[in-house]
Amino acid sequence: MIDGTPTRPLLEVQSLTKRFPLTRGVIFAHSRGAVHAVEDVTFAVARGRTLGIVGESGSGKSTTARMIARLIDPTSGTIAVDGTDITRLVGADLRTLRQRVQIVFQDAYGSLNPRQTAGQIIGAPLRVHHVPGDRRARVAGLLERVGLNPEHAARYPHEFSGGQRQRIGIARALALSPALMILDEPVSALDVSVQAHVLNLLTDLQDEHGITYVVISHDLGVIRHLADRVAVMYLGRIVELADAAAITAPRHPYTAALVSAAPAQPGIGATRQRIVLTGDAPSAITLPTGCAFHARCPKARLVSGDPHRVPERCRSERPPLDPDADGRQVACWYPLESGDDLIGAAQAMAIPVAGTQA
Amino acid sequence: MSAPLLEIDDLTVHFPSAAGPVRAVDGLSLSLARGQTLGVVGESGSGKTVTFLAAMRLLERSRPEIHGRILLDGVDVLTLPAREMREVRGPRIGMIFQDPLSALHPLLRVGDQIAETVRAHRDVGRRDARAQSVAALAQVGIPNADERARQYPHQLSGGMRQRVMIAMALILEPDLLIADEPTTALDTTVEAQILDIIDDLRTRLGIGVVLVSHSLATVADVADTVAVMYAGRVVERGRCEAVFAHPSHPYTWGLLDTVPALGAERSRLVPIPGSPPSLIDPPPGCRFAPRCAYRFDACTRHLPELVERGGGHADACVLPVPGRGARRHRLAPSGEEAAP
Repeated sequence: MIDGTPTRPLLEVQSLTKRFPLTRGVIFAHSRGAVHAVEDVTFAVARGRTLGIVGESGSGKSTTARMIARLIDPTSGTIAVDGTDITRLVGADLRTLRQRVQIVFQDAYGSLNPRQTAGQIIGAPLRVHHVPGDRRARVAGLLERVGLNPEHAARYPHEFSGGQRQRIGIARALALSPALMILDEPVSALDVSVQAHVLNLLTDLQDEHGITYVVISHDLGVIRHLADRVAVMYLGRIVELADAAAITAPRHPYTAALVSAAPAQPGIGATRQRIVLTGDAPSAITLPTGCAFHARCPKARLVSGDPHRVPERCRSERPPLDPDADGRQVACWYPLESGDDLIGAAQAMAIPVAGTQA
Repeated sequence: MSAPLLEIDDLTVHFPSAAGPVRAVDGLSLSLARGQTLGVVGESGSGKTVTFLAAMRLLERSRPEIHGRILLDGVDVLTLPAREMREVRGPRIGMIFQDPLSALHPLLRVGDQIAETVRAHRDVGRRDARAQSVAALAQVGIPNADERARQYPHQLSGGMRQRVMIAMALILEPDLLIADEPTTALDTTVEAQILDIIDDLRTRLGIGVVLVSHSLATVADVADTVAVMYAGRVVERGRCEAVFAHPSHPYTWGLLDTVPALGAERSRLVPIPGSPPSLIDPPPGCRFAPRCAYRFDACTRHLPELVERGGGHADACVLPVPGRGARRHRLAPSGEEAAP
């Protein structure tokens, strides 16, 4: 699905759903509804490729990542790694899976044990999984591979900078030679000059070891840099799935708003206009009917020709995630056409639009 | 051009430490005209936050050694007695921070917190102060302001909380708004909303805005002038379009090349090698020299001052000016290994 290779994708996610029940009462707990964190998410990633997932806070991107790493259990749906359904694995099988799927977190400091040395942290997966061989030499090799000095093995996390800590997190994930690495906001806590080093490291590791990546980020620039294919999530669902190169010409109005809000490369003297969305994303507890984006959608206003009205279809029927002729999938009844004046429509919705000179 | 609203002249802020003074800000000068936005860009530890905390006189508890002048409408705030400073902080300068949740009191309703600000500085009744705070919330685009004013910070989203902070900072109608990383903790679409609100208020109220950010792109979007900071000093400043179209300091080049851009073709990123210098024992000469791919022997001899290159565009670099742009493009692609 990701590209035309005949072999089976390394990761296949089918109708993945996660609802966190909201309960009240301790002894006679009763359900009061649920947070619909992830709803019916389906995608596949080919071996050695990268899928990027973008979306705002609460869009379900981290929940998706955690389900793939089996850190939380899905409510329904399947996750297959190399053709094996991993959603029900327990015991020894789950431990074997942990060797193949590793995760790197955003907060490198919070995800490293402050009382262990870098060497102990990176060696822990080797110890837990009884990997034979000289552990010390392997840790030294991993440290070197991520651009740290092997002598740093004796240091504690607080003795490292933010970028170095993230390298330790990457070395730990790398220790068991995983087939799939999940990178949850891998560089968003880092300064720009440090970011570039870590992004280059991730690219090199993928080239060398053929690791498959799922990258979560709110930064479209980072996603565009790392990913081959991009999934845009809104309120728990994928609204657009496209090649990374095509993401700058979005077809879903929400993607268009994200792209226009993303800071462009400074230094280009053109005037840039942003589509500013009104308000916040709706509640994930009581999901809106129809398309989840309809209340904020400028394109819906363009279609109805009235800034206060949304087409009936957008309000009542949920658009399916359908592939178009170019293999891109868009969940929208009225996907963008070239020449659509979304900025004009956003203005008509009485949204301030900033004309800025870069 | 009239006298600047804010002028910082040769500011140094040194914090005492066991290993010797930490030179957080070391000879910094910049200025901002009324009704304009100044973007201040730099990495963590470059001194951008310390500079503006010094302007608010909020550093005194850490007992720093402060020299230089910070002029607000020609008056040096560093020399004001504490009592008069209270009439600057709030009524003359408003400040908003990166993390609105920790800047708001968790147990007080947001409307009451804003009203408290009003009553601390103005002789108004409880009811009037409350009405003013609701009006201020409406002004920053909060729907149902009356209802929102009765809510607690935890009931608001990140974007809403930052709007509350802006409302609180502007309710006393200051001349200057200092926004320290106001959108760093927010989603991209919410960031766009907040920047729009700040820009809209700047035009409507004619205030000066200092936008401190680690993101060049954020600054490029809204600022009129920009100052790039490195290791406690300004290394380049000028009109936004000039600095981004024709950056002249190698550190600015590095910052621009290191960002993965959305529109650009995907290519290997060119990071700046090394890491920022120690502020206790800075390297001799130019602070950026040890990481600079273009350095030559003159760089380590003396600390370069900001030199005007025309049109208000200035940089602190001793590279010969003619052909500097060509030099950038010749050397930049070699990337990580460029510096010995």
